[in-house]
Amino acid sequence: MNIAIASVGGQGGLTLSRVLAVAAVLDGYSVRTGETLGMAQRFGSVVSYVRVGRRVLSPVFAEGEADFLLGLEVIEAARALGLLKPGGLAVISDVLRPPVSASLRREPYDKAKLLKHIGSRARLLVVPARELAARAGNPRAANMVVLGAFSRQQRVLTEGSLRRAISEVIDPRWLESSLRALELGMEYCEKFSDPRGAETPGGRESEAVNH
Amino acid sequence: MRNFLKAPEGERLALMGNEAIARGLLEAGVSVVTGYPGTPSSEVIMTLHELGAASGIYVEWSVNERVAFEIAYGAAIGGARAAVTMKAPGASVALDPLVSSAYSGVEGGLMVLVADDPGPHTTQTEQDDRWLGFLAKLPVLSPSSPQEAKDLTVASLELSEEVKLPVILRTTTRVNHAVGDVVLGPLRAPKRATSFRKDIPRFVRAGMAWNLERHRWLNRQLGTVEEAFERVSAVRNTVEGSGRACVVTEGTAYNYVAEAVRELGVDARVVKLTLLFPPPRKFLSEALEGCERVLVVEELDPYVETIVRSLLSELGRNVPIYGKTASGIPMEGELKTGTVREAIASVLLEGSATGRPTTAEPLQDVRVPPRPPPMCPACPHRNTYVALLMGIARAGYRRDDVPIFGDIGCYALGAQPPLEAIWTEHSMGASISMAMGLKVAGYDKPVVAVIGDSTFFHAGVQPLIEAAHKRVDVLVVIADNAVVAMTGHQSTPAWSELESGRKARPVPIESVVKAIGVERVEVVDPYDFDRAVEAFERLLREPGVRVLISRHPCALVEARTRGVRRRYMIVEDRCTGCLACVRVTGCPALYFDGSKVRIAEEDCLGCGLCARFCPYKAIEVVAGG
Repeated sequence: MNIAIASVGGQGGLTLSRVLAVAAVLDGYSVRTGETLGMAQRFGSVVSYVRVGRRVLSPVFAEGEADFLLGLEVIEAARALGLLKPGGLAVISDVLRPPVSASLRREPYDKAKLLKHIGSRARLLVVPARELAARAGNPRAANMVVLGAFSRQQRVLTEGSLRRAISEVIDPRWLESSLRALELGMEYCEKFSDPRGAETPGGRESEAVNH
Repeated sequence: MRNFLKAPEGERLALMGNEAIARGLLEAGVSVVTGYPGTPSSEVIMTLHELGAASGIYVEWSVNERVAFEIAYGAAIGGARAAVTMKAPGASVALDPLVSSAYSGVEGGLMVLVADDPGPHTTQTEQDDRWLGFLAKLPVLSPSSPQEAKDLTVASLELSEEVKLPVILRTTTRVNHAVGDVVLGPLRAPKRATSFRKDIPRFVRAGMAWNLERHRWLNRQLGTVEEAFERVSAVRNTVEGSGRACVVTEGTAYNYVAEAVRELGVDARVVKLTLLFPPPRKFLSEALEGCERVLVVEELDPYVETIVRSLLSELGRNVPIYGKTASGIPMEGELKTGTVREAIASVLLEGSATGRPTTAEPLQDVRVPPRPPPMCPACPHRNTYVALLMGIARAGYRRDDVPIFGDIGCYALGAQPPLEAIWTEHSMGASISMAMGLKVAGYDKPVVAVIGDSTFFHAGVQPLIEAAHKRVDVLVVIADNAVVAMTGHQSTPAWSELESGRKARPVPIESVVKAIGVERVEVVDPYDFDRAVEAFERLLREPGVRVLISRHPCALVEARTRGVRRRYMIVEDRCTGCLACVRVTGCPALYFDGSKVRIAEEDCLGCGLCARFCPYKAIEVVAGG
C-alpha cells in the first residue's frame, strides 16, 4: 500500500505520516516513509510518502503509484494528484489556503473547481476536516479527521493500531481531541457513499502486502 | 514516545533514520556527541537531548562544525567514544581538523556523521561527500535504510577504534528523514576518556618528518580497513542474485535498484557497497567475477562508477560499464524510482519499455500555484527587511542602489517575492565579507550585510573583525531571533540554559561586537517598526562599520511560550482587495479570495504589520481578542 500525503508545512502532514508508520509496525508490516523536514518547509508545499507491505525498501515511489492520496489542503492535493494511480482514492480536507504567489497574481482559487478537477482523475472523498476537528476540540487535528476517514477505506491497518499509534506519537495534551477527531473522521466516512464504493475498501489487502 | 532510547534489545519500532542513529550511538557507548544544526542531520542530537544532563553523556550543540569536530576529536584521542554531526556544507567547515585527524588518529572510536542532500531539499549545493574519503583519507560507510543507519553507527565506532581512524558515516536525506522499521540492539555503558598518552610525533603536526611518517602510517592503516570492516560490521557489502548482468549501487539508490529488479523480474546480480572508502577492492573484484556488463546506479557524482572503472581496468577485465553518461541516470537531483527502473530495463533488458500508466497528465484547466516556503507569519525578520527597505528609500537611495548581502538561515526566505530583499546568500558568514569585498573594490553606494544570530556566532565574528580592522564602510544587520530557527529551534551561545538542562554562560552579541572594536552598535526591536526604520535610515548615512542588532524572539517560539496576544480581522466593507498588505508583507496568513483579502485565523500570530500598511484601515484588532 502506497500513501501520498499532501499538505502545507505546519498542518500536521508529518505527524500523520508518522502515525501511519507506527501503526504499520504495530500491525506487523514493514514500513518506509520519505519526507523532508525542517523549518524550511513551514508554510511551503510538503509531500510525504508512506509505504506499507511485507518487505518495502524505497522510502518514495513514482508518479502514478499511490493507492491513496491524503490531502490536508485542496491546492496541495491538486499538486500531488499525479502521484495517485488511476482509480486511486483521494481523501481531501476541504481547506483552501492559496499561497502568497497566487495572491500576488490576484489569482482567485475556486475550491469547487479544484475538487472537480481532482474528482475527474480520482475517486474523491472530501471531508470537512477543519470543522470536524474544531468539533473534536482542536482545529489543528484536521489531519486526524482525514486519517479517520481514510482508515475506513482500507483494510491494511487496524483501528486498534491506529489508536495506539496516535497515543504514541501525539503529545498527551492533544491526545483526547486527536482520538475524538479520528472518530469523527470515521463516522463521516461511513455516511459517504462512493458511486463505485463497493470496490473501494476491499481487494487491496492482498495487493498491499505484495508490494 | 521517545522510550526507544532506553528500550531493550530486540524491540521492533518505527524510527526515523536520525532517531535510529541516535539509538545506535547509545548502543555504541558514546560519551561525547557534538554538532551544529543542519538539515537533514539535526534530529540526532535533538533526540539525544531528551536523555537530559543526568545521562552522563555530553550531548551539546557547538558554535560551528569545526569546533564540534575538534571537541569530539579531543575526546576520542583520550580513549572516549565520540560522535559529531553535520550537514554537507558543515563538513567543509570542519575540513581542516578532519584532514589532520587522519594523521594523528584516535584511541576511542570517533564517528563523523555527514548528511548530504541530493535534491537538494534544504541545502545550498549538492556537495557529494563520498569524495571526503579520497580527500581526507578516512573510511566512509553508507547506509541504505534507518536500520542500517543504526547498525552502521555501531560499526563506525567499532571500526574507528579498530583502525584508529575517525570514520565518516555518510547519509542522505532519504535515509536521515526516512522512517522505517528498526530492530533495536543492546545498549552499552558510555565509554569515557580513560587516559591521554603524550606522544609528540603522533599528535603534533608541526614536525615535517613526523608528518611524513604519519602519512605512511595512515596509508598502512587504510590498507587494513576492508578486512576490519568485514570483521566488525553487521551490515556488509552484499551480492544478491547471480546473473551475468551486474548492478553496482549503494545507499538509498540500492532500494530503488532492488525493487526495480524484483518488479521487472530481471536476472541481475545486485552488488551493494556499504564501505565506500577505501574502495573494497577485494570484495568488488570477487563480486564482479564473471560479469558481462555493469550498470552503476548512484545519486549525484559518478563516485562508485569511478571506483568500478578503475578496478576493472586494473584487473584487465574488459567489461562494458554503464555509468552516468550511458544509463540516463542524472548527476543532479535525487534519483527517482522510475528513472532507475528505466535504466535497468534499458541496460539489462536492452531497451524494453517499462513505463507505467500514470495519472500525471498536465493540469490543463487548473493552474496550481507554486508554494515556496515563505517567512512565517509575524516573523520579526520580515519587519527587519521591510524597515530596512524603507530606511534605504528614506536615506535617499533607490532600492536597486543598495545591495543587501544575505546569509544562511530563515531570513534568507526574504529573497522570495514580494520582499525580494537579499541579493546574495552564499555560505555561513559570507554576508559581511562579500559586502566588504564589493566595497573595497570601489562600489560607491552603501552596502548592507544581514546575518542571523546563530550564523554570526558560527562564522560571522571573523568577517566582522576583518571589516572593523580595515575600517570598511558597511552596515551589518544582525537579525537576532535568539534561536537557530530554520533547523528546528536549537540553542545559540546566547542561551543560559541548554536543551540538555545544562546551565550555560550566555555570550551577548553586543559584547562580542563591541570587543571587536565596532564603535557604532545599536539594538532595535523590529516590532517597534518606526524606530527601526529611523535607525536604518540614520545608519545608512554614516561611514565606517555600523552594527544594528535587530532583536525580537522567533515568532513561533514566542507564540508557543506566550500565546498569541492579539487577533486581527478584515473589516469586509473597507477591504477593496487592493492587496497592499500582501504586497508589502508577503505574509502567508493573508490570502486573496477573489475580491477581498482574508486572514487565516489559525496562522495569524498578531504582529499587525499588515494593518500598518492597509490604506483603508480595513485590518483591525479583534476587540477582546
